[in-house]
Amino acid sequence: MAEILQILILGLALGGVIALMGSGLSLVFGVMRIVNLAHPALIIGGAYITYLAFKTFDIDPIAMLPVAAVAMAAVGVVLYRLLFQREAKSAKYSEMTVLLTFALAMMVEGLLGGLFTNTQRVTSPDYATAAFFIGDVFIPKGQLYAGLVSLAIIAALSLFLKYSRLGYAIRATTQNREAAELLGVNVQFISVLAFAIGIGLAGAAGSLVSFVFSFFPAKHWEWIAMLMSVVVLGGMGSILGTVVGALILSVVAAFVGTWIGATWSTLTFFLALFIILLVRPQGLFGEKPEMA
Amino acid sequence: MRLNTLLAATAAAAIMAGAAHAENLKIGASLPITGGLSVSGEKHRRGYELCTKLINDAGGILGRQVELVVSDNRSDTATAINQYERFINVDKVEVVYGTFSSRLTFPVASILSKYNMVHAIPSGGALRIYEQGYKNLFYFQVNAAEYTGKDVAAVIKQLIPAGETPKSVAVVSADDFFANAIEAGLLGQKVKDPATDKEIADLAPGYLSDAGIEVLMQEKWPEEGFNDWLNLANSIKRSGAEMVIGLTASAEEAVQLTRSLKTVGATPKLVYLSQGAQTEFVEGVGKEAADGVLIHTTWHKDVPFESTLAGKPFNNADFVKAFTAEYDVEPDEDSAIPFAVCQGIEQAILGAGTTDNAKMGEWLHARTKDDPVRTVLGRFSWDEVGLPVEKSHIMTQWQDGSLTFVYPTGEFEGVSPFRYPKNGF
Repeated sequence: MAEILQILILGLALGGVIALMGSGLSLVFGVMRIVNLAHPALIIGGAYITYLAFKTFDIDPIAMLPVAAVAMAAVGVVLYRLLFQREAKSAKYSEMTVLLTFALAMMVEGLLGGLFTNTQRVTSPDYATAAFFIGDVFIPKGQLYAGLVSLAIIAALSLFLKYSRLGYAIRATTQNREAAELLGVNVQFISVLAFAIGIGLAGAAGSLVSFVFSFFPAKHWEWIAMLMSVVVLGGMGSILGTVVGALILSVVAAFVGTWIGATWSTLTFFLALFIILLVRPQGLFGEKPEMA
Repeated sequence: MRLNTLLAATAAAAIMAGAAHAENLKIGASLPITGGLSVSGEKHRRGYELCTKLINDAGGILGRQVELVVSDNRSDTATAINQYERFINVDKVEVVYGTFSSRLTFPVASILSKYNMVHAIPSGGALRIYEQGYKNLFYFQVNAAEYTGKDVAAVIKQLIPAGETPKSVAVVSADDFFANAIEAGLLGQKVKDPATDKEIADLAPGYLSDAGIEVLMQEKWPEEGFNDWLNLANSIKRSGAEMVIGLTASAEEAVQLTRSLKTVGATPKLVYLSQGAQTEFVEGVGKEAADGVLIHTTWHKDVPFESTLAGKPFNNADFVKAFTAEYDVEPDEDSAIPFAVCQGIEQAILGAGTTDNAKMGEWLHARTKDDPVRTVLGRFSWDEVGLPVEKSHIMTQWQDGSLTFVYPTGEFEGVSPFRYPKNGF
């Protein structure tokens, strides 16, 4: 029983962090139909900002989270204006963004490599490698804190989307871009805002990731498939779906890793991606796509 | 008139520059500067570049300046193959340096063999690379990875008092060319050529069995994309093994595994990792967690290896000094090894008096224990398949934040006493 509880705790703690990593990806797709393959590379950008502050000024990674989020949100504004805005009305916009963000991911990786070298980094606040021990079970402090902060940010984001005027506008744009525009929503501004929030979430996730995983510029290739699986399972564009997807897959992967073998735990994410695309392509909480 | 003069002068300068350029000795190296292997790939580039710079500062090789052509293979096998093809057929390089990792080296070996190039290998220790029948392979580390366990077992047998040695072990490893090779030797597995299923070596009973250590747990994680380190560390702890062997394929994995073992409160008596000699390891895990961790390495900054560069004495301390001055950071073995490859190639060209790869290969094969290639990794001569003869790993141990070397005990000065048991993380 203790073993099952332990695996469950570890799966949920990891899932909380992955949820935040995936939520920005989901939001950006939901509002702007941008499949942002560069999202994990931008998470690493946030992780480096946090690392620099930790290394240079000994600033706690969680305290650096707002700074990393704002800094990366600013990067998001620039990227949107520079790369995506002019193509927004293209009939093949989503398809184009796949190629565009793939190139962006490689450029971000190259830039980070040039700035910080390819050496792996990690921040090491005391709690990163500490745990609460309760009987035979332990709760890793680093992942617990990261998971709780992640869920708090996602909850705040959900409240913002649900109850604020800007949130209404973002949701309206997500549901029907043309209709929102007809009703007076400044879709252009909302797109920039949503993209900035999405990349800001990448920055925030980077701060948490910096003490949960070690990272280096090329690490993002290992994360994109995992994040896509989570977002597709939850339903592209659904923040709640991303959270549920991340928690489910992380817990399942933890059980698979322990009982079947660590080699198979990563496969859990890909298997889920295949199954969900075959059985329920809109994901758990997504809307059924309209047939052409 | 003045325009004509200017044009003539420009043309003459261009011709002279072209002539000078043609005399450069082009050497190609495909490295994983980006992608999953980029941490070590970038350090390899530094090793090659520093060596090239020092050679050029001293006048070049055979009076020619060396032009190093480095391409990023993005840690991708097909790209590495294509780049070596391009070096030879398009860039017309005369010599090549090897790439990083067994995974990339294995297919590259067949390409370089096809063109009869000397293949100096910095990092590619899997035995099956050397059992393909290629004649000009020269490995610039200690021995095939399968035999690494011999030195781990030697530390246990020779440095730990009888009766206090660990009786059980958890062996966890990356599902990777290099890590699998070390595991095969430790566990006494058969090594097979995956293409033909032909048996290359039977390593039974294995170094762990030889040392009387029972394997309580064995687990692999996928080569890329593994994140569930805490679960793995928890399984290790629950196994109750007195020793942990972590066959990590990169320093990053060594950091992740060690941090996770600390988090779950594991208390093994001995921890051996196949990676982690880099400074980033101790930075990532902290001095306390690193303390007592045993790691095999080919190079250590304090080992008094004597070598030559540009025909003059150039010992290991000179390398550390030059590297630190150039990059403002101390080197680790990921830069020292390619530096040694560059030294070996330089000595081969000087020894053969030509860049004819066949003659360079003959010269390298003719090296003996008394007349070796001398590098910052020590002396090299090779057997017929290209594996070094009579070399042992330097077994290092993190002690108080410094990487000290603890074995072999009688070969060099400066050996530190081995710390055992490890007191937690």
